[in-house]
Amino acid sequence: MLLFTEYVIRGLFLGAMYGLLALPMSLAFVTVGTIDFAVGAYALLAAAIGATVGGTLGALLGLAGALVASLVMAAVFVLLKRAGHHDTIMIALSSFGLAVAIGSIVLASWGSTAFVRQGLDAVWTVAGIRINPQGPINLAVGLALLAGLTALLFGTGLGRMLRASAVNAQGAELAGIPVVAVQALIFAAGGLLGGIAGLLILYSSGLDFTAGLSLTLSGFAASIVFGVSNPARGFLGGLAIGVAEALSAGYGSGAMTALIPQFVVLLTLGLGMLGAGRYTGYRP
Amino acid sequence: MKQLRNHANSAAALLIAVLFALLLRDPVWIDVAVVIGIQALIALSVGLSFGQAGLLSLAQAPFAAIGAYATGIISVHYGGSPLAGLAGAIMLPALLGYLLARLVIRLEPLAVALATLSLAAIVEVVIRSWDSVTGGYVGLSGISPLAWAASPREYFWLVLLVIVIVIALYENLLASRFGRALNTLRHDRARAMADGVPVVAVSSAAFGLSAAFAGVAGWLYAHYVSYVGPGDLGTHLSISVVLMAVIGGASYVLGPVVGAIVLGVLMRMLPAQELQGLFYGGTLILILLVARDGLLGIAEPWFARALRAIVPQPARVAPEDERRT
Amino acid sequence: MSKGLQAIGMHKRFGGVHALDDAAISVEPGRVTGLIGRNGSGKTTLFNCITGFIVPDSGSVTVDGRDITGAGPQTIVKAGLSRTFQTPREDARSTVRDAVLCGCYVQSSASFLGALTGLPGARREERRIGLRADALLERFGLAAQAEAPVGTLSMGLVRLVEVARAIASGARYLLLDEPAAGLSAAEQDILSAQIRALASSGVGVLLVEHNFSLVLSMCDRITVLEFGKVLSEGAPEQVARDPGVIEAYLGAIERGDTGSTQ
Repeated sequence: MLLFTEYVIRGLFLGAMYGLLALPMSLAFVTVGTIDFAVGAYALLAAAIGATVGGTLGALLGLAGALVASLVMAAVFVLLKRAGHHDTIMIALSSFGLAVAIGSIVLASWGSTAFVRQGLDAVWTVAGIRINPQGPINLAVGLALLAGLTALLFGTGLGRMLRASAVNAQGAELAGIPVVAVQALIFAAGGLLGGIAGLLILYSSGLDFTAGLSLTLSGFAASIVFGVSNPARGFLGGLAIGVAEALSAGYGSGAMTALIPQFVVLLTLGLGMLGAGRYTGYRP
Repeated sequence: MKQLRNHANSAAALLIAVLFALLLRDPVWIDVAVVIGIQALIALSVGLSFGQAGLLSLAQAPFAAIGAYATGIISVHYGGSPLAGLAGAIMLPALLGYLLARLVIRLEPLAVALATLSLAAIVEVVIRSWDSVTGGYVGLSGISPLAWAASPREYFWLVLLVIVIVIALYENLLASRFGRALNTLRHDRARAMADGVPVVAVSSAAFGLSAAFAGVAGWLYAHYVSYVGPGDLGTHLSISVVLMAVIGGASYVLGPVVGAIVLGVLMRMLPAQELQGLFYGGTLILILLVARDGLLGIAEPWFARALRAIVPQPARVAPEDERRT
Repeated sequence: MSKGLQAIGMHKRFGGVHALDDAAISVEPGRVTGLIGRNGSGKTTLFNCITGFIVPDSGSVTVDGRDITGAGPQTIVKAGLSRTFQTPREDARSTVRDAVLCGCYVQSSASFLGALTGLPGARREERRIGLRADALLERFGLAAQAEAPVGTLSMGLVRLVEVARAIASGARYLLLDEPAAGLSAAEQDILSAQIRALASSGVGVLLVEHNFSLVLSMCDRITVLEFGKVLSEGAPEQVARDPGVIEAYLGAIERGDTGSTQ
């Protein structure tokens, strides 16, 4: 039982990072109707820079790097829109291209060794369970960002614009909301949130140059498992996947653990919990 | 999309293939050409699923891997003939592709792309961890070579032959009610539904067929190298075949082949292996921004003009001035 | 059983909105039936429920006695019911002939593998529907534009392509969603002549329209919807005299608040 509790707690700490990655995924999916495949790559870039420079400066530079990368995506998005491409799959495909490019830059500059940094040496023992304080920090940062994002979405003018663009982009445009600019902002937010997640992962389990796409997938799995409609569900989805992975790693095999996000994606999609009915031809 | 009718594409491919086959003498380049040909086949499968049906698949290399492992397992574990392997290399990816599509195609095309990415990850893990069957990290070696295409040169002819057959099948499909249905549902699913097209069934069938094309490429790969390992037909190949299709023009039958040749030759000139991804990603974004219909999209108006100058117009085509009304 | 297309007792709720509340309509072969109503009166919902694009909560739809309630669009098209869209959904790059060929989908019995391998049977089917498409192009006066991309046509011709594409399935009932929207008077005349001609050849036509005068001039029968219910049903002159209709619909026209025809 003690072991089980330890796995669950470990899973929650891991899941907080998936939850963080889920936030920009669900934002982009709901407001732009697309997927930013590069979210995991922003995390990777931030972690790579953070690992090299180290400390607070490294974290800040890592975040800046992730932000720059996401601004590239935002610029590509705006250019695609300007060129009259409204096909969301083209936007997704270009973000995929960016993800691959970032992975390659990281490989060329830092090589294939894993990035990992030990943040805090202390180990807390709570009721017989050993906890590295990095875990609670991850969870706290995740929850704080979730709260901040929720406040932004539901308590500010910018949030109203975001939600209006999500519900009806054409209508929002007519109402004078700069929809493309607002949507470009979503991509930039992906860099910020993805970057923070990357730094937390750097100080927890670490990652290597191949992590970009698998982090994107974990984030996406988290964002859809309980419904893509709001950030809190996405974060909760991240926690759930984290716990499932930790339990599987504890009781099962490594291969099983690696497959959990994939099965979550396939099952959720197969059960039709994402956007089904959107193509019934009915336009309200 | 206005395609050149009937079998113009496969005829052109056949012509190019024969030219290549006759001109290529250098053994190094023959080896390069076999590899490019196999990649062109997988890129063709992207053309079918993405270019025609609008379903972006990031699992075409894993489908090829399944084809390669299918024939490899039949050959190494059971001593089966390559032809039995070919049946497996076609059926297994086709079935898996069909089932995956059945599962997710009702949803957004984007969701399909993600589902294929998940499938790719699953296939990779299964290949690495199912030691007793796939050989795990070591891979499968000693896959029997083809007796009737023993030299690289003969193998090159075989690859060309398979490409021409696949293109002919692809054209057949496009010229049928299913090809038109695929193009309609890529453009607008509701429109296809109103035509009475069973959208899920038709796109799943096309997706399965596309996986089968990739499986055949995997079969060719396995018998050429006599070995297949977990790193051979992985994510990086899935990415490059999508890039090939987009560069050449995914909606044109020959687009992926053109893209495979262009990219395959360019890749030989790239200095550092590590920067491959940067080159891929950058080119992909650039092409999407400046030439969405790919190289053939750029070439089409020129080609049409040249064709009009040489060949008299078929009777059914309205003259230029009438067409603008 | 009885000939004709009947929808009775149709209910559909979207959230708290009762879009259809016991709506009904019937379309006879060889007749043009109009379905009118203000914005939000439920005509598009009823139309989508009949054509299988929305599953109704309750009610029954029958075609020539066959129950098609809740069936998918492809079953319904096979049963002889075709629809068009208010905003044409044609691919601008496809040729007119290809667009009409797309409508022939259910007319061909070529199998997927047959088409793929180019079996003689599949080729024969392809030739057969090719002839069918050519005949339709001829009939709708589109033969000269056969190889033109749909995107280069005027709106009037695009609507004709839509109608030709819909009837290409071999439909015995044709459901047209505001086919005259955005057309000039001359284009409307050509379109209504074609629709009348289709009706005289035995096709039952259901016309969803905003344009009341067009409906009055074209239809043999009219159903008026209001708040998802049938407000009035009958011959055009009868409906036009119905005090309820005048109050709810025509009165609104005089006040100028029927909403735009998009």
